[in-house]
Amino acid sequence: MSLDFSPGRALAIARKEIRHILRDPFTLTLALGLPLVLVVFFGFAIDFDVRGITLVIHDSDKSRISRQFAEIFASSGYFLAVEPAPGSGVLRELDTARASGVLLIKPDFARRLIGGRTAQTQFVLDGADNTRASAILGYLPGILRAARHRLTQDGPAERITLSTRFLYNHELNTRWFVIPGLAVIVMGLLAIMLTALTVAREWENGSMELLLSTPVRPWEIILGKLAPYLILGLIGAVFIYLTARLGFGVPFRGSHLLYFLLCLLFLTASLAQGLLISVATRQQQLAMQLSIITGLLPSLLLSGFVFPIESMPVFFQYFTSILSQKWFMMISRGVFLQGSGALDLARPILGLSVIAGVLLTVAAKRFKKDLEP
Amino acid sequence: MPEATPAIETRDLVIRFGKFTAVDGVSFTVRRGEIFGFLGANGAGKTTTIRALCGLLAPTSGEVRVAGLDFSNGGNAIKSKVGYMSQKFTLYNDLTVAENLAFAAGLRKLDPEAAAARTRELLGFIGFDHPLGAMVRDLPGGLKQELALAAAILHDPEIIFLDEPTAGVAPAARERFWGLIGRLTDSGKTVLVTTHYMDEAEHCGRIALMRAGRLIALNTPEALKSLAFPGPMLEATTEDPRVVSELSGRPGVLSVQPYGMRWHLSLQDKTAWKSLAATLPPGLTLRHIAPSLEDVFIRLVEGGER
Repeated sequence: MSLDFSPGRALAIARKEIRHILRDPFTLTLALGLPLVLVVFFGFAIDFDVRGITLVIHDSDKSRISRQFAEIFASSGYFLAVEPAPGSGVLRELDTARASGVLLIKPDFARRLIGGRTAQTQFVLDGADNTRASAILGYLPGILRAARHRLTQDGPAERITLSTRFLYNHELNTRWFVIPGLAVIVMGLLAIMLTALTVAREWENGSMELLLSTPVRPWEIILGKLAPYLILGLIGAVFIYLTARLGFGVPFRGSHLLYFLLCLLFLTASLAQGLLISVATRQQQLAMQLSIITGLLPSLLLSGFVFPIESMPVFFQYFTSILSQKWFMMISRGVFLQGSGALDLARPILGLSVIAGVLLTVAAKRFKKDLEP
Repeated sequence: MPEATPAIETRDLVIRFGKFTAVDGVSFTVRRGEIFGFLGANGAGKTTTIRALCGLLAPTSGEVRVAGLDFSNGGNAIKSKVGYMSQKFTLYNDLTVAENLAFAAGLRKLDPEAAAARTRELLGFIGFDHPLGAMVRDLPGGLKQELALAAAILHDPEIIFLDEPTAGVAPAARERFWGLIGRLTDSGKTVLVTTHYMDEAEHCGRIALMRAGRLIALNTPEALKSLAFPGPMLEATTEDPRVVSELSGRPGVLSVQPYGMRWHLSLQDKTAWKSLAATLPPGLTLRHIAPSLEDVFIRLVEGGER
């Protein structure tokens, strides 16, 4: 960095940039509207949870144990017991879409259990809806474990419920999972898209010549331009935080200070990415397209926001490491839901720092090269 | 700084972009208080030369001294001594007049009081009579240029570079703008200006003509005219264009240039004029005229390209 850095000039640029933001309807709409739309979209409309699965129980044993077993299913919270349809044929409920699942308990269920043998039950599932079916399949082992405990050992009830709990998100509430992730999408996209326009706009307008004809230093331009968007990004973060806590009751178990600092780190990485795009393209339209491609798509698809990174092909598991969004996704969820501290998050923090450092250096170098005679 | 130091001095200035040589060995000196005109076709190297003189471009080779300063400090020392108004409109259309000027003052690190005083002074100088809160985009073109000038000289530079300041501006506003330039040099400033309008170039104390990166002529407008046209200059008027083409073959006739509905004839000397007048084709009238800078430009710049 040059020795003759002037905070005054950086401030003059920041002040001007804020005026641009306030006067440009597009920027304002994007900055205010985007978080709102995303929250409504992902917070309300999209729910990956499967609840109230209609279940018919055909208990042919009708013993105390079989009734208890059926009861465990019915009270698990995932299922909604419905009356068997009149008529014959065990799977008629599935055929008529009266229920999504049928639990069949054979007549010798209690006898086999008491005799120390394996008692088999059958769970028949409507597999037409793939997502739904796989969600139900995911619930079964937990319920079965609970049933086994209760029926074979007759232990206290608390121990049974414990084994069906899902850690960190007992209710398997996807909103708890989605909303902290939204912070990543909103902040990242805002920061990248808005900064991508700033430098390109100066080149297109010709006002870069005015900046260049003054003794202003590249770092003063960079800081002056990034600071307002940093603030805008933080406002986005606060908005998401309030929505998460007040609107959706998402718990916040970690340190607020840590989360704030890491938000700053993530914003820096995103702003640097936007700046790099702007410096490299020098055209607003191209910069906009590039920022959407590099800012929105990886956030949505490759950050682990919707699709778990662990279930991606090996190449993508490594590839996603160059995305700041992946690391901040881990941080955001960790701090919100697990109460992770800096040590727990050492790896994502390191990853994010490296990305922020590299992007900022490359952008600044490139910018300096353009600006200095 | 002693008065004797020239405002601008270049020696063998060369600027290359890769293999392309934009400025090719240009040397000239601009005196303090001078209006120095830069003329040349697009791509002749005028803007590139100016950008180097403003400290925006490093010379590939050769020397540049502006206000007694050279390029050793990366051009930043020069930047504080000069004001530069570039070809493109550099003010922000979505900011008000006051905001634009405050921004320019901030970049120049003027303290608020000095900036306010200087802003008032300059707005008076350009005769600005719109509200300061007006958006720049709502101002007429000529006024925008005057405002851009004010922003460029807010820090009271000794030397002012104006790159086509009147391009696309209405004639009356152009005249006004040149009035401002004259007042600047009257107060001791040095102005280096480029223009496409030949009539404007008459305002310059001296004119440098550039072609393909080279300086092909440098003199006062009068000297350039007599240099380019040592012999008489005539304007031909006729109903029958065919007789004019016949003239160009005559001895002593240097050139025949179409000029709207008329022709400009340049002759070698008085003898050529006498012999031509004696054998004038019918229907053709000739009258003596003084060559304009446009004639000079056509002869020196465009003539050389053939």
